[in-house]
Amino acid sequence: MTRLHRQPICVASALLVPLLQLLAPNWLSLDGVGPSWAVLWLLPWALVDGPVSGAVAGAALGLVLDGLSIGEISQVPALVLMGWWWGRIGRRGSPIQRSFNIGLLAWIGALVLGLSLWLQLQLMESSAAFLQGWALHTTLSQALVTGLLAPLVGSWQLLIWRRRVPA
Amino acid sequence: MGLSQWSQRDRLRAFRRLWPWLILLAGLGLVRLSKGAGFTDAFALLSRPFWPGSAQSEWIQTAVRLDDQSRLELLEKDNARLRGLLEIDQLSSGSRVQAAVISRMPSGWWQQLVLGKGALDGIAKDDAVLGPGGLIGRVQSVTPATARVRLLTAPGSRIGVWLPRTRQHGLLVGLGTARPQLQFLDKDVQVRPGDLVSTSPASTLLPPNLPVAVAQSINLRDVPAPTALVQLTAPPDAIDWVQVQVR
Repeated sequence: MTRLHRQPICVASALLVPLLQLLAPNWLSLDGVGPSWAVLWLLPWALVDGPVSGAVAGAALGLVLDGLSIGEISQVPALVLMGWWWGRIGRRGSPIQRSFNIGLLAWIGALVLGLSLWLQLQLMESSAAFLQGWALHTTLSQALVTGLLAPLVGSWQLLIWRRRVPA
Repeated sequence: MGLSQWSQRDRLRAFRRLWPWLILLAGLGLVRLSKGAGFTDAFALLSRPFWPGSAQSEWIQTAVRLDDQSRLELLEKDNARLRGLLEIDQLSSGSRVQAAVISRMPSGWWQQLVLGKGALDGIAKDDAVLGPGGLIGRVQSVTPATARVRLLTAPGSRIGVWLPRTRQHGLLVGLGTARPQLQFLDKDVQVRPGDLVSTSPASTLLPPNLPVAVAQSINLRDVPAPTALVQLTAPPDAIDWVQVQVR
């Protein structure tokens, strides 16, 4: 079997991310804040396919998601960074398998994504005190939901993709 | 003496015969003074089973609604004519397009709606989007078949508003939370919790006199000018259909 990015069906699975972003199911949200679907998809992808593929996939996903949302803030920097880092973890260390580890990595990824958006918001929009409270609430809620969902979604993706790309 | 005794007895007898009539007369006098209150109340009590039913009441309510509606239409036309004379703006004469909400993100980083109609239906950037109850946002971008709406609650959303009671202008700024912030331009404000916030009657970007929000809490000590937190009259997280005011 070839690498993940050479398998059309695996690449096509990325289309689920913008679709889920638009669908925004209410029942999968914490206080109105849903999970970061990009993080949930990118984590197993980068762990299986390596840092370069992870960074490129992060950039591609970020561009699509930025196109779907209003405002000037971008997800690209955080997704590229996390794709690269998760790819390195997948290549260097022993394979990540435990649910807790997957959940923790997704939690960190969503936290970094939230902090990058917060920073951009502060630089571009406003630094009002009310905005800070809302940004903190959104970052923590999204990180928590993403971290809780990752063991369910990520483990399943890892299992399928590792079967398609044997080490 | 005997004669006078007889006449006195006769007078007493005559009085005894007359006193019921005198009481009746006094009673009638009371009826006259009270404008027949007892009679009408008694009549109301007795005739209650034969009063007009609910159907008739509904007819009257429908007639009143029709009357209000036609009066509102006449006033709107009159208003549009006067606005035309004053050359304030022609937005109110534009038509409204009904659109379904196909994607909703009322909270989180991007607070937006995606509508199922776009440029093909005449929707353009910066068109006002109305929910049941008032303004909810403005169109941020359009595709041929969809339109993306920036909600008033979204961080970075800013629109000019008007307080009809105090006749003051303000700036409604989205903070990401469900309650946007109203920033006043004057230092001396007489706003009270419960005051209506609407679009300005002289607005050129948005339809005039649209209800937007209700003031909830006021911070008079804020610098450089007082601020207030407001509750939107049309909560965007529970709306499936909206109207877009096209120009």
